[in-house]
Amino acid sequence: MSTYILRRLLLTVPVVIGILFTTFLIKAAIPSDAVVTMYQGQLSEQDASKAIAIMRHKYGLDRPWYMQFLSYTEGVLTGNLGQSIRTRQPVIKEIGYRYRNTLELTFAAFLVALTVGVVSGVVAAYFKDTWLDITSMTVSLFGISMPAFFFGLVLIMVVSVWLRWLPVIENGWQGLILPALTLGLIEAAPLARVARSSMVEALGRDYIRAARAKGMPESVVVLRHALPNALLSIVTLAGLQIGSLFGGAFIIEVIFSWHGIGELAVEAIQWRDFTITQGVILISATTYVLINLVVDILYTWIDPRIVVDKS
Amino acid sequence: MLRRTLISLAPSLALGLVEAPARAADAGPTLTFRLGEDPETLYNVQSISLTVAEVLGDQILEGLVYLDRKGLPQPWLAQSWSVSDDQKEITFKLRPGVKFHDGTDFNADAVKFHFTAIQDPQNASPLLPLIGPLHALDVPDPLTVRFTFAKPFAPFFTNLSLAQLYFNSPTAVAKYGKTYGRHPVGTGPYRFVSWNPGAEIDLERNPDYHPQWRSDAENKGAPYAARIVLRVIEEDGVAAEALETGELTASNLTADIIPRFVHDPGYKVIINKNVTNLLFLEFNERRPTFQDFRFRQAMSYAINREAIVQASWSGYAAPALGPLAVGIPGYDAGVVAKYGMPYDPAKAKALLADAGWKPGPGGLLEKNGQKARFLIKSYAGFTAIDRALAVIQSNLKDLGVDATLQTSDWGVFYPSLLRDDWDMDLDRWTWPDGAVLTQLFRSPGHRNSTLPDPKVDSVLDRCNTLMEPTQRNVCLGEAQQVLLQAMTIVPILTNWTVIATQKNVLGYDLDFEGGLIPGDVHLAKT
Repeated sequence: MSTYILRRLLLTVPVVIGILFTTFLIKAAIPSDAVVTMYQGQLSEQDASKAIAIMRHKYGLDRPWYMQFLSYTEGVLTGNLGQSIRTRQPVIKEIGYRYRNTLELTFAAFLVALTVGVVSGVVAAYFKDTWLDITSMTVSLFGISMPAFFFGLVLIMVVSVWLRWLPVIENGWQGLILPALTLGLIEAAPLARVARSSMVEALGRDYIRAARAKGMPESVVVLRHALPNALLSIVTLAGLQIGSLFGGAFIIEVIFSWHGIGELAVEAIQWRDFTITQGVILISATTYVLINLVVDILYTWIDPRIVVDKS
Repeated sequence: MLRRTLISLAPSLALGLVEAPARAADAGPTLTFRLGEDPETLYNVQSISLTVAEVLGDQILEGLVYLDRKGLPQPWLAQSWSVSDDQKEITFKLRPGVKFHDGTDFNADAVKFHFTAIQDPQNASPLLPLIGPLHALDVPDPLTVRFTFAKPFAPFFTNLSLAQLYFNSPTAVAKYGKTYGRHPVGTGPYRFVSWNPGAEIDLERNPDYHPQWRSDAENKGAPYAARIVLRVIEEDGVAAEALETGELTASNLTADIIPRFVHDPGYKVIINKNVTNLLFLEFNERRPTFQDFRFRQAMSYAINREAIVQASWSGYAAPALGPLAVGIPGYDAGVVAKYGMPYDPAKAKALLADAGWKPGPGGLLEKNGQKARFLIKSYAGFTAIDRALAVIQSNLKDLGVDATLQTSDWGVFYPSLLRDDWDMDLDRWTWPDGAVLTQLFRSPGHRNSTLPDPKVDSVLDRCNTLMEPTQRNVCLGEAQQVLLQAMTIVPILTNWTVIATQKNVLGYDLDFEGGLIPGDVHLAKT
């Protein structure tokens, strides 16, 4: 098992380097950079070119892109993500607490998605073809079709502006509720549908009939016998969803003024502040790969039939 | 949304206030202001952005002079000044006893320190143009500074009134080094407490504040409010909602949300029309078509400014007919009324015919085989600009001129104007001094696309050497006249600043340059 984890961890290195390489290629193709964005229009043409030349040299932007890539990779391997061009602060410091905020939001949303998705899926499956089933599946259809940013604005309008239950701008736990609900409820929808269909399948199996024939209470039948068997497909989807939650957080953060790396990335892209963009990409990609690793390990725990290939 | 900087695009700072739960030790309310973006630094030497200027200038730092209600420079941290006979030397006497927040003295060395930092090439400071042909800075005694310029530099007084030329504690700059931009120390009414990047900046009342010497401030003592919290809210819609819930008791309003607040008795609305921005159309005079002043004049008559005011700014803007924005000292209403060329499609048509443009197949104008098809460039990401472009395109179509529109991000658009691959561009500029005319329109123009016009160039050069404000304003009046006669650019509009506050907010007043005077703001007792 530990060699498996180690191998998977080592595999993340080429993945991350590949992603970085692609971003450097894109960067080379994009006209203008942070220095130009900062100085153009602020100075006379002559002063601007002078200042731009000094700053470009300072941040190594005057070298060919592959040289920049090599020295950036070298820096990353020694734990140095460089300096933001716009704020002149170390990238690691800029990302710092924002990364924690994004993780908080992602996991809060994941809890919402998992709870709402699995509960409503199981209920819908158990009460198949009743009004409960139809209602929850209709609602989840809305969830799948609704763009997250729109749902977010509706929530702000209803919960904060009309009902005045929560503040619009708040950094503490109160500020986490609405973005986590927005993101979580949207992602709960596909989970609910998958949970329902795999539960319907599990509930139709022979061992369920056998359990009922033995006179087991319904709660045990559903939760101990059917649910664990339905869990595998739910976990597969949930694992993929953590990734999309992490990505979805980027848009949601801007709408709710939640100060995470998504908001930072959006700002950095607008300013062409590539060292920040690269830092965010690096951190996000690594996080994504690690989450997938955790999900794969969870598989073996949920379903003992899945064994890690020792070869 | 790219939020731009001081002399270029839209003002990015909106202001808001909210009464926070009072802490036992606090006297007076906490004011919460909105920031439309996170400032990149709070060391003014490193940035010319409006957001940076508003955070520092309104609260933390102070300068030698401020502009009074009439736009004239008045002593602030300077006690007095004198200008030498050749107009090249300005000597300031500083007020004694002024202290920085860290307890060190504000003195001539602190002034010199700031200008030296701007001139240091390693800082690549974007503030270099603000100091013009500054040649030497001497400190004869701790309360005297003498600026010597290579030639007279009239914009200097306006520039000294801007937050970029306000003063930092040299001790603090040395102490914090590279991270000084996260720990600003000045002499202002509020002291820096903390900055949670991307989220908020906290300030507290400076208990040792010197008497307020500004004539435009109502409160001459320490500021009323105990704390100021600056919250970063990027989305305009979210700021509007926070205003509705009372979390912000004031915020500036973008055109599309003004109607939600302007007629609501729950808010006070402040409309500042004395603003220094100008939206204008300019020409690539490297191309023969645009060297003909009749064509340029026709463009001024062609544009329906009132339609753009409505479409782009929901009516909260004023059509501009002169090249200097209405809020800049020296704006001459008489010259503009006499020489301005307002919307008049018939006159536009006549001028184009006079210039040799004849209708061809499909009504498209032609001249010597050249079809009237032109490329208009502008910058992307601003609804107001997109709508203005659409109106201009349709106005030109009415004349038989076919305009292709192309917008791209500022960092791509602006440098691209240096190339000769465009015909006209729509640009917007904000700057509080008449020197903006020279910077933009004196040949070769800010983008090398303006041909020399001896009349324009000589007037502009003269205006920049007149240190006496009234003489200079007369000169700027002449400059507006020659620029209009040549129609070097086509002025379009000036948009207003609109701010809504909750109705219990008192003393919310803007200075001549549109900055808040924070020490005056307080809340009515309920």
